[in-house]
Amino acid sequence: MSSISRTLRNLRKVGIKDFWHQLNYIGDTKAGVLVGTDKFGNKFFEDKDELPLRTRWVDFAKHDFDSAQIEPLWHAWIAYTVDTPPTQDPIMETGKRAWSPKDQVPNRTATLGSYKTYSTTKPKINAWEPFAAPR
Amino acid sequence: MRPPTLIKYTASLPRGRLLPAFSAAPVKRYSTEQTSHARLPRTPPPVRPTLALSTEKRPNAVAEYALSTLDGLVNWARQGSLWPVSFGLACCAIEMMHLSMPRYDNDRQGIIFRASPRQADVMIVAGTVTNKMAPALRQIYDQMPEPRWVISMGSCANGGGYYHYSYSVVRGVDRLIPVDIFVPGCPPTAEALQYGIFQLQKKMRRTKVTRMWYRK
Repeated sequence: MSSISRTLRNLRKVGIKDFWHQLNYIGDTKAGVLVGTDKFGNKFFEDKDELPLRTRWVDFAKHDFDSAQIEPLWHAWIAYTVDTPPTQDPIMETGKRAWSPKDQVPNRTATLGSYKTYSTTKPKINAWEPFAAPR
Repeated sequence: MRPPTLIKYTASLPRGRLLPAFSAAPVKRYSTEQTSHARLPRTPPPVRPTLALSTEKRPNAVAEYALSTLDGLVNWARQGSLWPVSFGLACCAIEMMHLSMPRYDNDRQGIIFRASPRQADVMIVAGTVTNKMAPALRQIYDQMPEPRWVISMGSCANGGGYYHYSYSVVRGVDRLIPVDIFVPGCPPTAEALQYGIFQLQKKMRRTKVTRMWYRK
């Protein structure tokens, strides 16, 4: 993924502290410009001199990160769906439209808030509940 | 004499809302949890707040400190070389192949497809499981060494999907083997399967391997 010369070149650009931070988070050494920060504190970077599909990356705010933690429109940017980041495109501003969700819901899989299936139809059978009349 | 097993939000609602407005009939005594479900207004149940997991508790003994570190080491080793046995059955298998091809490049995460179940850790069931394939699937799962995980990929493996009412298709691979991660989609993209693999790695990170051994 990364050659030694590229790692050393980027290490010289970002410094030893950021180098260690990046190794713990993205497992690579990258140097680029900070494009923006979403409201959860995830920082988005870009380096156009990189190889295609490696030019954009995110520095997550949480160490136990998950790609569902970033804002949807930033996700569109980082997945190369759109060209401009949501900070520079007025169409993509968050919270402008009535239908846009007010807050981003993280993935609650494997927590207590996880989705539980439920039935919306009337059941076809009824269990018998034993009931003894008082004598 | 209502059963005590009523779920919480049913009990917290006022009594009048549980009954439809047109039913003047007396409340039947055999109301169970399911019938009270049906009488609820058709809104999804409220999302409960995310509580801290039991694994997030701070260790308070020396042994627990040592064992949680050891657990971290074991889980790091396990999630760093997740070798799947490729159980590609249908079009989902194409997306599974995309994941191991250069664009998503699973090899960099130590995910290498194995041809033999005896060398594999995780089984990715990708595609429609037919009744005819079911015994073979179960046998291959039984041949995998412990610890083993299963990812069910796509609608067909999750619950039959498009072929749910077919005469020859198993309605979900969890009728045959225990499933850890369900990846929805028809077929799921390679990114979706990648996200499912990340979820599985998260699950492996929570596994209390030596701590459960110590508890015994």
